[in-house]
Amino acid sequence: MTDRIGIALLGCAHIPHAMSYARTASESRSVRLVAAWDDTPDIAHRVADRFDIPLARTPEELVARPDVDAVVVCSATGDHRRLVELAASAGRHVLCEKPIATTLADGRAMVDACDRAGVQLHIAFVTRFYPLVQRVRGLIQDGALGDVRGLVGGNRGRPPLPPTYPDWITDPARAGGGALIDHSVHVTDVMRHVTGLEVNDVGAEVDSLFWNAGVDDMALLSLRFSGGAVGSVDPSWSVPAENPWHYDFYLRIVGTKGALIIGDTTEGLNVVGDVGRAGQVFVPFAVDIDGLMLEGFADSIRAGRVLEPCADGPDGIRALEIALAGYRAATSGTRVPLPLEPDA
Amino acid sequence: MVTQVRVGIVGAGFIARAHAAAYAATEGVKIIGIADPVREKADRLAEHFGSTAVADLSDLVSLGIDAVSVCTPSPTHADLVEAAVAAGVHVLCEKPIARSFFDARRIVDAADKASGIVMIGHVSRYEPDHARARDVIAAGGIGDVRMVSQSILSAAPAWSQDAWLHDHNQSGGPLIDLAIHSFDYLAWASGSQPIRVQAVASDTAAGPVTYVLITIRYANGAIGLVESSWGHPLAYGFQVATEISGASGRLWWEYAGISGGRMATEDGAVTLFDTLGDRGFRAEIGAFIDAVRAGGPSPVPATEALAALRTALAAERSLSQRRPVALDEISS
Repeated sequence: MTDRIGIALLGCAHIPHAMSYARTASESRSVRLVAAWDDTPDIAHRVADRFDIPLARTPEELVARPDVDAVVVCSATGDHRRLVELAASAGRHVLCEKPIATTLADGRAMVDACDRAGVQLHIAFVTRFYPLVQRVRGLIQDGALGDVRGLVGGNRGRPPLPPTYPDWITDPARAGGGALIDHSVHVTDVMRHVTGLEVNDVGAEVDSLFWNAGVDDMALLSLRFSGGAVGSVDPSWSVPAENPWHYDFYLRIVGTKGALIIGDTTEGLNVVGDVGRAGQVFVPFAVDIDGLMLEGFADSIRAGRVLEPCADGPDGIRALEIALAGYRAATSGTRVPLPLEPDA
Repeated sequence: MVTQVRVGIVGAGFIARAHAAAYAATEGVKIIGIADPVREKADRLAEHFGSTAVADLSDLVSLGIDAVSVCTPSPTHADLVEAAVAAGVHVLCEKPIARSFFDARRIVDAADKASGIVMIGHVSRYEPDHARARDVIAAGGIGDVRMVSQSILSAAPAWSQDAWLHDHNQSGGPLIDLAIHSFDYLAWASGSQPIRVQAVASDTAAGPVTYVLITIRYANGAIGLVESSWGHPLAYGFQVATEISGASGRLWWEYAGISGGRMATEDGAVTLFDTLGDRGFRAEIGAFIDAVRAGGPSPVPATEALAALRTALAAERSLSQRRPVALDEISS
């Protein structure tokens, strides 16, 4: 198995995702988890000890390791640019956590750095890898719905608060915002991915009335797409503590010839018992989309190009742009046309 | 022992049939007459319910009625409600209250002066699912309301006389005729009125502006989404999905999940057993008749229906001007 792609975790500050990618990578037949680094020793040790991998003392040391072919950047969003540029300069391919960055300027710099270095930049839009999403994409490409006219999607969750989540996710300076930037990017990316349409303008209502976390926890995006379709996205951290599931993803689409709905809160068991929480608990049996994404990353590296359905840097910028336009729309009380000006 | 209430129905179309069936099932109510300018429609409905077919409201009043249901196209509501009130008759007027803000104000004014009650037929409030959800919220079951959404997806209505529902000037399309249900219900259930809306819409196989998404901000800070479609295939079924999130909980339900059972037969047909049936219309008509007997108050006052129409008209303006519109911009 010497041809497995050597993967290292460059930043683990998104702890739940870092843990999930590490677990998936350690079980994979196509990648090998070789090392990790994080600037918080406690976080770094949690990952390294759990998966029995060496820790690098510095990010430079990590990307210089000869067994590292590619890195997964799971740092705070505001640190993505520095780490991605470092990985690119060392010639390492990158899978970067979403959103790509907190600003368009950072996102574009990351795309440029990877292009210049000739390495691939993937963005971790795992939702693309749901088999149902791919099925919908195929149906739309085959014309089953006719022309797409409307899309409503959501990705709601519990608030990502400590101790389960690190505190940076609810720090607008390091995360770029709250629920709107955290969750909308998954939904807008899937909308773009399955329809091939781009967003023309964005309206939004944004507020923080659920958790008092100091950052937006509820939002609704109002979207106009190229070709006349319209859409709405709910990215809110609106899931109550006792809810049977932690987060959801759903998408309804209507076209000139048909309509469909998909969701991920049916693919599981309903359990009342001893599974960590009281009450009814949803225990999913869905496929491991993190695993499918890592396989796609590894396959793309072997192929020398970003393969379907992996998301690349420009995909990350498009989704970020919609989220930033949402914040701007909510602040200004207007609809905000895309693309945003380059310095946004 | 209840006193008999003598009712008439103006209009003999799709909704008039629902009203008639509910009146027929209500104790102490007699359907005195059914009026429609299309005589065959009035004849057909009158015959089915053992009533008398007439041409118009004045004929009904001549027959001697206590109350009337107005089940005609929206732009005709104001004239009919004013005439019924002038004749001293209690009125149940179908939703939307009117097509224009001006007409809706006329109805509110008529209701203010009326000796009897004027009720607007926002039947959603009486559907067992909707009503129970509102009860849960009112009892504090999910805390203060923070987010609301309602999605009503259907095929284009095929039943309207001369296709008036497809004439934007008469019905307003799904943005007004269908979304009005959601505007009224969500405000009533959450106890707060919209202060700002923005709408986006697209054209579907059902025609121009037949798929609409309305984003709403409420006075209490809550935000909401209303999705209204006439552009879905008939086979998709009439789908209603509602979700309301509060500070301490969430409730949601959808038609796809509340059928009480299903039957499949060897011809390939699948029948879902609807649990709602006509319970909403029966409860609405029952509330109307109870109010008539009690001498008021109106179970759904015209002022509340005016507020729902104001939301719809603000959404209509948002659509044409491509910007968020404050509700207080709609005043004439």
